[in-house]
Amino acid sequence: MIAITNLSKYYGTIPALDNLTLEIGAGEVFGLLGPNGAGKTTTIKILTTLTFTTRGAARIAGCDVVRDRPRLKPLIAVCPQEINLDRELTAFENLWFYGRLFQVPDISRRIMELLEWAQLESRAHDRVKGFSGGLQRRLLIARALMSRPRVLFLDEPTVGLDPQIRRQLWDMIRQLKADGITILLTTHYIEEAESLCGRVGVLNKGRLIALDSPQNLTARVGGYVVESVDGARRSYTLVKDREAACARAQEETDGVLIRQANLEDVFIQLTGERLSQ
Amino acid sequence: MNWATIFLKDMLLFQRRLLRLGYVLSTLFAPLLYLVAFGLGLGKSVAIPGGLSYLDFLLPGLVAMSSMTNSYTWVANSLNMGRLYFRTFQIYLQTPVSPWEIVVGQTLAGIVRGLFASSVILGLGLILGSQLHFTAVFVLGMVFNGLVFAAFGVVVGLKTKSHEDSATFTNFFILPMAFFCGTFFPVDTLPGWAQHLIYILPLTHTNRLLRAPAWCLDSLVSLLLLAAAAGLCLALSILFIRRYSE
Repeated sequence: MIAITNLSKYYGTIPALDNLTLEIGAGEVFGLLGPNGAGKTTTIKILTTLTFTTRGAARIAGCDVVRDRPRLKPLIAVCPQEINLDRELTAFENLWFYGRLFQVPDISRRIMELLEWAQLESRAHDRVKGFSGGLQRRLLIARALMSRPRVLFLDEPTVGLDPQIRRQLWDMIRQLKADGITILLTTHYIEEAESLCGRVGVLNKGRLIALDSPQNLTARVGGYVVESVDGARRSYTLVKDREAACARAQEETDGVLIRQANLEDVFIQLTGERLSQ
Repeated sequence: MNWATIFLKDMLLFQRRLLRLGYVLSTLFAPLLYLVAFGLGLGKSVAIPGGLSYLDFLLPGLVAMSSMTNSYTWVANSLNMGRLYFRTFQIYLQTPVSPWEIVVGQTLAGIVRGLFASSVILGLGLILGSQLHFTAVFVLGMVFNGLVFAAFGVVVGLKTKSHEDSATFTNFFILPMAFFCGTFFPVDTLPGWAQHLIYILPLTHTNRLLRAPAWCLDSLVSLLLLAAAAGLCLALSILFIRRYSE
């Protein structure tokens, strides 16, 4: 569904995205994982026609993202990182104006369907400026679905939300996956990528440094982590299995924590840095 | 018909803002101040060639000035803020909307806004005793003035890199036009070189149209020059949207 070939984007001489090559299948939920400034949002901006490329090409459902924009735009929808709803308009009006841009048929019915899906039907005629961050995020996803897109881009969909609201949004994203929509989501939350994505691409400083399922990526660096604390210093040792972890832990004299490896460990192993930096 | 959707949305936002008393007053405050202070105060001691009262001379100028500032400011600010802060402009770029539809929708909204503001000034001027005569040239002048400055607002709204940039354009382009293009005094009282410079500015031609007693060759020339300025701004706006890249 999405084919990216040698895609690069430079701002002056600074590479925001460097030679990215990637394929995402139809119906897949694919995660781009990386710290701030890794190139995740730049990738989404290029794929959603907001930014031109410096080099390389990308196609979505066979449409080139630069040359076939009129054919491409009806197929895609995006939930940007910044909530770009019209705050002075109601939830209904936000969806109505957006739907009109796609010539959505039977628009009022579609709006009510989506407001119900996002559990916002009781707030349909309230102005968005009175909504909490979580409600606005839900409305943003509902708006993106107005046109029944084949590909949905979610740029940091749960950033800044409390854990309970985050889990509500994850349930919504899982429903979209069940409906067969291809989803490309960016995140720097490990749990989010592991919980939602079939495959993950790890970006660092504009380069793709790993690409696989979360399970395979963590297995590749070792299935378990032994964390030992020495004063203020915390060290990590990646080991293959539980037995090896126990053996390693017995060598330590201070506090030790044994846990399963996660994508953060993959990132540390590959870059020497933490994702949250 | 996406231009109509964009226009309708802007009209709904405009209507909501109109209901705020402070918003309307702040928008119309400057021209109202000029009308009362200059038209009724200073105007009594000013003689205008042709025996026209100063209020009758001033009113078309203030109508043109309000139309200019309101059309321009509405569009430039709404695009600038929508692009840089609220990110609502990006919606148009990521949906099946053509660049010309964005430009037409935004420009029409600016024209309506300008016509609204200038109509309020016009009504107040008539209440204060102006003997202004309406002609078809007057109405066309108001509409074309809104068109030129709303289209200029689109250009500025697309090119500014911050809200402060927008104020710079206002200070260097809009404000000088308000004072030197014949709003407060006849342009022919200025030195010859200044008249040549002022002749190329669009507000000069709006003032000529709004003060023309009837159709004449000068009116047609002014109308064509305004149309050319609007055409240039519209073409630039479409080009800038086509090349837009973050």
